Amino acid sequence: MFYLSSIIALFIVYLMLTANITLPNLVLGLLVATGITLLMPKDAPMLFRIDRLPRFLWTGMQYAFVVFKDVVLGGIATARLVLDPKLPLKSGIIAIPTGSKSELGTAISAHAITLSPGELVIEMDSDGIMYTHCLDVESTAVAADEAQAKRHKLLSSLFD
Amino acid sequence: METLQQVIAMILLVLGTFLSLVGVIGFIRLPDVYTRLHATGKVSVFGLVFLLLAVSILTPLTAWKGILLIFFVLLASPAVSHSIASAAYKAGVPLAGPKRDDLKSKLERGSDKDV
Repeated sequence: MFYLSSIIALFIVYLMLTANITLPNLVLGLLVATGITLLMPKDAPMLFRIDRLPRFLWTGMQYAFVVFKDVVLGGIATARLVLDPKLPLKSGIIAIPTGSKSELGTAISAHAITLSPGELVIEMDSDGIMYTHCLDVESTAVAADEAQAKRHKLLSSLFD
Repeated sequence: METLQQVIAMILLVLGTFLSLVGVIGFIRLPDVYTRLHATGKVSVFGLVFLLLAVSILTPLTAWKGILLIFFVLLASPAVSHSIASAAYKAGVPLAGPKRDDLKSKLERGSDKDV
């Protein structure tokens, strides 16, 4: 079941990338998808369960919206800082606790933080604390915990 | 319809080029590795995302390809900037005038071996 869903997902991605629906390409895509699936470890965690699909889509959309908002606000702040003639840089490293127990939740939180401009996860320790480099320490230190709590709420309903 | 498509694509092209430019300016102006990674690894990547969006709108036949590429770029770019920053920190590259460094104080306490 894991193999089948993985092959189908990879096959669809291959068809989207090549955008070419002829018989040789279909066969090649199926072969590539099967080959990649065989390379994956047998005990790979199941990210996605078909019975949770509606909740997965809904929460995923909410999560994408939250991340998108962070990215736009961070992008504007970073662009303004770079173009400012005085360059008011207040960089530094702060610790942000993940609050998440699962490794996947921690990884996705770190991904969202690193994706938004102005924040960059440098290191993580075994307690799930993310050491984050920020361009503006003061404003990030105020906002980071709240943003992380919001992300954690959405992610834990998906993966725990 | 045709003109509307082109106007939207034009706006996205200008925005993408502007963000790429900001990334390059940031790379030149900012003082150290970590802050420069913010400029190139984030701002420039969003420039690329807007350019790909414009391409997807201008050539509807291969729109899926552009959207899939955006997805992959957004998935992979944070991993790249994180690994460069992490390697730089472990190699001992200094921060330019840090106001605060929580990681350093933790390492000096030595409470966790695997950092």
